[in-house]
Amino acid sequence: MMKAGLGTMASLLAFDLREAFDSPLWVAYFWLFFAFQFAVYGSLMSRLVVSMDHYLFYYGTGLIVLLSFNVASWAGRRFVESAHEGRLRYLLSLPLGRNELFFEQVVLGVAVNLSRVMPPLVFVLWASHLLTAGALLYSVLVLSLTAVGIIGLMVSLSVIAFRSFDMYSAIVAAASALLIRFSTLYYPVSSMTPAYGDVASANPLSYGADLFRAVIGLDVSPLLDPRVALAVMLALCVGTVFMGTFFMSRMVEGVKSS
Amino acid sequence: MEYAVESIDLSKAYGSNVALDGLNLKVREGEIIVLLGPNGSGKTTFLQLISTVLKPSGGTAIVMGHDIVGEPLKVRQVATISFQDPRGFWRHKPSHILSFHASMYGVPGQNRRELVERTLKEFDLWDSREKKFMHLSGGQAKRLEVAKLFVHRPRLAIFDEPTTMVDLDGKRTIWDKIKQLREEGSTVIVATNEVREAEYLADRITIFAKGREVVTDSLSNLKDSVRGGDVVDIEFAQPVTRAMVDELSSVRGTAKVSLVAEGRLRVQVNRSEDWLPEVTRRVYSMGVKLSSIKVTEPSLDDVFMQYTGGGGP
Repeated sequence: MMKAGLGTMASLLAFDLREAFDSPLWVAYFWLFFAFQFAVYGSLMSRLVVSMDHYLFYYGTGLIVLLSFNVASWAGRRFVESAHEGRLRYLLSLPLGRNELFFEQVVLGVAVNLSRVMPPLVFVLWASHLLTAGALLYSVLVLSLTAVGIIGLMVSLSVIAFRSFDMYSAIVAAASALLIRFSTLYYPVSSMTPAYGDVASANPLSYGADLFRAVIGLDVSPLLDPRVALAVMLALCVGTVFMGTFFMSRMVEGVKSS
Repeated sequence: MEYAVESIDLSKAYGSNVALDGLNLKVREGEIIVLLGPNGSGKTTFLQLISTVLKPSGGTAIVMGHDIVGEPLKVRQVATISFQDPRGFWRHKPSHILSFHASMYGVPGQNRRELVERTLKEFDLWDSREKKFMHLSGGQAKRLEVAKLFVHRPRLAIFDEPTTMVDLDGKRTIWDKIKQLREEGSTVIVATNEVREAEYLADRITIFAKGREVVTDSLSNLKDSVRGGDVVDIEFAQPVTRAMVDELSSVRGTAKVSLVAEGRLRVQVNRSEDWLPEVTRRVYSMGVKLSSIKVTEPSLDDVFMQYTGGGGP
């Protein structure tokens, strides 16, 4: 008897998670990278930035959102790579709806994201004396919301990759660099020049970072309005998920092997 | 349901490159049909269209009663494809890949382990079950790709070049398993470049060229359709005369008569089984004695050459 849609989606998710957690060393490297960034650059920058108290924790939270962004980007890129490695055509041949395949990719990305960022998150919350069940729960929700938005965006961009993987890589690299640099990941809008602040205020990643800071209880005075940030993040999620499902159902095919 | 697959003006184009050009092909339920054609003739495109991996640019196909455009999920529930080049699961082990595949088609957990073990053994992969996919040889990876279809036995089994990279023993195993699949009720479509594979497996053969179906028929009918395809070597007990050549040339079905030695003729005929009784009667009435007759049938290569004008399958 054929399994129902959710059952096949769960089977695929379990299969993909097995692969994602196949290399514990890689996960450890990820945490090591965070620890190094936080200890070395965080300490250094907290001495350079004198306009904020406790800048180290501001930097640490920005770093966690950056890690989340990177993992979500990985999930999107993985989808593109799966097309070029011949894996996607197999997935497309399985008894699984295109929308279910898209949502499986999103859930996989969120699960991998949480597995990667959870230890750094707990550490930063603990070090900043903000570790509570509520802060942990809300930060998980915000980071997942951010990840869903980014994965949806990256999968949507994969349509470009089916024509040219090089072009996709260039666009994603450029977009990522701009999103990260013109955001509030490392500096609040209040400390930026007006022009830089306007650009950062138009960047969804800024809202993700500041919403995350707000829900864990950091001082909200230098942050973007949390209510606006929540609205922006929800809009980003809905928009990119809609776009992702549209592209998946209408345009995605097994890419011819090259 | 008379046909397992019926394509209706099925087309696929990549920009200006037409890979499949208005194909109308019918696959009967319960048969093994082999698609033969030169590289780029549209075989793989057709297989990927009817398994809904690709979307048609025009037309459609009905697979086991389901439209590939309107009901792709239902098509995927009854049709499974084994791809030409096995790739993509680098970090997984063969046992995990087969188990996952079985789970996607609803094989219950308690049966899965036993089924996977049996399939791995049947395809000579048991000793490699704990290797990662990226460490398998090309032949092992290909056997694994084919083996996937044997853990759930789809109603429509589609194989794209099932034995490329596989050694001789492995080829025979795969061919026998494909035949077994048909005997157990599946309809089977095989695309191949190997004439021997086509001859071994096919109930019917479809020859593709330039994105179109050129001909579909049984192997024997295709061979019979080759004009002058049967070669008859006749050795006489006496030298060949002009009258003998003229007499043989006048027999219906004779394509060409060549003198190859003093007492030997080589005659190309359409169907030797129709031609020989008439020739022996005439030779007997001429009072000429025959020493030997040898008949050589056309190969599938000859069939292919006739229908595609060359290029190799």
